[in-house]
Amino acid sequence: MKPPRLQLDSVTIRFGGLTAVSEVSLIVGDRELAGLIGPNGAGKTTLFNLVTAVYQPTEGTIRLGGEPTDRLEPHQLTARGVARTFQNIRLFPSLSVLDNVRVAARLHCPHGLRQSLWRGAAFRAAEAAVEKESLELLNIFDLARYRDEPAKSLPYGNQRRLEIVRALATRPRLLLLDEPAAGMNPTEKVALTQLIREIRDRFQLAVLLVEHDMQLVMDLCERIHVLDHGVKIAEGSPTEIRSNPQVIEAYLGPDHAL
Amino acid sequence: MKRHPQLWLLAAIILAAVLSASARPAGVNPYYLGVAVDVGINVILAVSLNLINGHTGQFSLGHAGFMAVGAYVASSITLGLAARFGGPALTPLLFAGSLLAGGLAAALAGLAVGVPSLRLRGDYLAIVTLGFGEIIRVILQTTDAVGAASGLKGIPKFTSFGWAWALAALTVYVVACLVNSTYGRGFIAVHDDEVAARSMGINTTRYKVTAFVIGAFFAGLAGGLYAHHKQFISPGGFDFNKSIEIVVMVILGGMGRTAGVIAAAIVLTLLPEVLRPVAEYRMILYALLILGLMLARPQGLFTWERRTGAKPGPQPT
Ligand SMILES: Nc1ncnc2c1ncn2[C@@H]1O[C@H](COP(=O)(O)OP(=O)(O)OP(=O)(O)O)[C@@H](O)[C@H]1O
Ligand SMILES: [Mg+2]
Repeated sequence: MKPPRLQLDSVTIRFGGLTAVSEVSLIVGDRELAGLIGPNGAGKTTLFNLVTAVYQPTEGTIRLGGEPTDRLEPHQLTARGVARTFQNIRLFPSLSVLDNVRVAARLHCPHGLRQSLWRGAAFRAAEAAVEKESLELLNIFDLARYRDEPAKSLPYGNQRRLEIVRALATRPRLLLLDEPAAGMNPTEKVALTQLIREIRDRFQLAVLLVEHDMQLVMDLCERIHVLDHGVKIAEGSPTEIRSNPQVIEAYLGPDHAL
Repeated sequence: MKRHPQLWLLAAIILAAVLSASARPAGVNPYYLGVAVDVGINVILAVSLNLINGHTGQFSLGHAGFMAVGAYVASSITLGLAARFGGPALTPLLFAGSLLAGGLAAALAGLAVGVPSLRLRGDYLAIVTLGFGEIIRVILQTTDAVGAASGLKGIPKFTSFGWAWALAALTVYVVACLVNSTYGRGFIAVHDDEVAARSMGINTTRYKVTAFVIGAFFAGLAGGLYAHHKQFISPGGFDFNKSIEIVVMVILGGMGRTAGVIAAAIVLTLLPEVLRPVAEYRMILYALLILGLMLARPQGLFTWERRTGAKPGPQPT
């Protein structure tokens, strides 16, 4: 059997006296649409930071396609096919929309310092290829027409979408989305749900999604993991999660129950 | 021409050489030529510091230190060799070689400062680089082989404004080409948000060290030019004030804006010259003018912010 895209084995991280993530195990399969939910402060973003090596776990192992990721730096992890968006948008504000994407596409651009200075035919061809790929990705999210605008001038919803495009430019096999629909209106949310499904199919990647909008999570995710106070309290299909008394108690509230 | 920026560089270098060669026969006042050299040297210093402080967003206060390394290495070479290989035919070669050696030595110093400073940012980085500059100065001050506190005298006058401007053009070319490429956008990404940059696969450590090394290399070149222009260098000429002077050029030019930084370097070199008639009030006036400019145009002397695009939407609570 092929190893899963992402596998956490009893992962724990402590910040001083606070255990933000406690012995969490979970598996995200190739091309799976997975959700990670839980109340504020449950440790969802911290778990993303662990997977992307922003933090090292205090205990436990994280594997990508079967390979342990300890001792890898965040940028090396990106090179191994993990990309993410941030809960509090972190675009590059002084770069244009297109350049935000180009920077991420740099990972697959063969040239560096010397070629940038020499500017031969190979350099120009590579630059053109990066630009083409970046524009194609922007087009999926209907953002190509803002290519030369500063990223910070985009409206909020588009900034979130641009973050997804930027993550895609690294050609990930696992995409981590931290509250991608936050601040979007209902129409935008529906469009986003559709788009996430589309990019999963098109780029054959696994998605792990943190989101407080339950409708979106239930519509989109094939499997849902629930965190509460750093502990994983449940895992299952949307139907199972919706009717899980522990989840209703800790997070969903009675309104969401079936 | 946008596709072939090398041609611009070539044209600029040839133009500088031709102008320089014809200036003296045409009877141009040597004082003006001297100021033109100062302008070229300061453009090199400001544009190279702009790579570190502007584009990459680090805060170096050690540029005068790198300049000193270049100045002393280059001068030691020409002073040692000029007597033996005095032929005028070999002079340009000897000079180019000594400048290069000075630049490389400064680049090495840039590596030495850049690597340990990587974990630092902002004020802390500024303090460490400042300390580096002072260490260089103290070492020079106590090394008898390079004249200790009295410095090096009788350095041959090799720097013409052709050399200064050609190398200024090279500096601008390198920094502009570097930043204007997919690779080079990484410097700006490091400046904007290191966490996001790392998550996008950018080796931020590597970019920062690269900025330091390249910036220091050109500061070293500028130091070599300076030494062979003034014909005399002493440790005092590369003190903290000199570093601040260059930082001011970068800030007034609008951090990270190459054209603005060039313009600021030119203006701030000419300003004290223009103020020469008021003699004793000159430095006070200079300081006041800089203060005024900073207050009037905090975003940079030559920055006119484009206001385009929609306003950011409401933030979620
Ligand atoms: N670097 C850190 N140092 C100390 N405590 C931290 C750190 N990062 C996170 N925490 C703590 O860990 C806990 C989990 O935070 P986290 O941001 O992961 O929650 P979350 O599930 O993403 O919540 P939300 O839904 O509000 O985004 C919180 O109590 C937070 O204060
Ligand atoms: Mg969070």
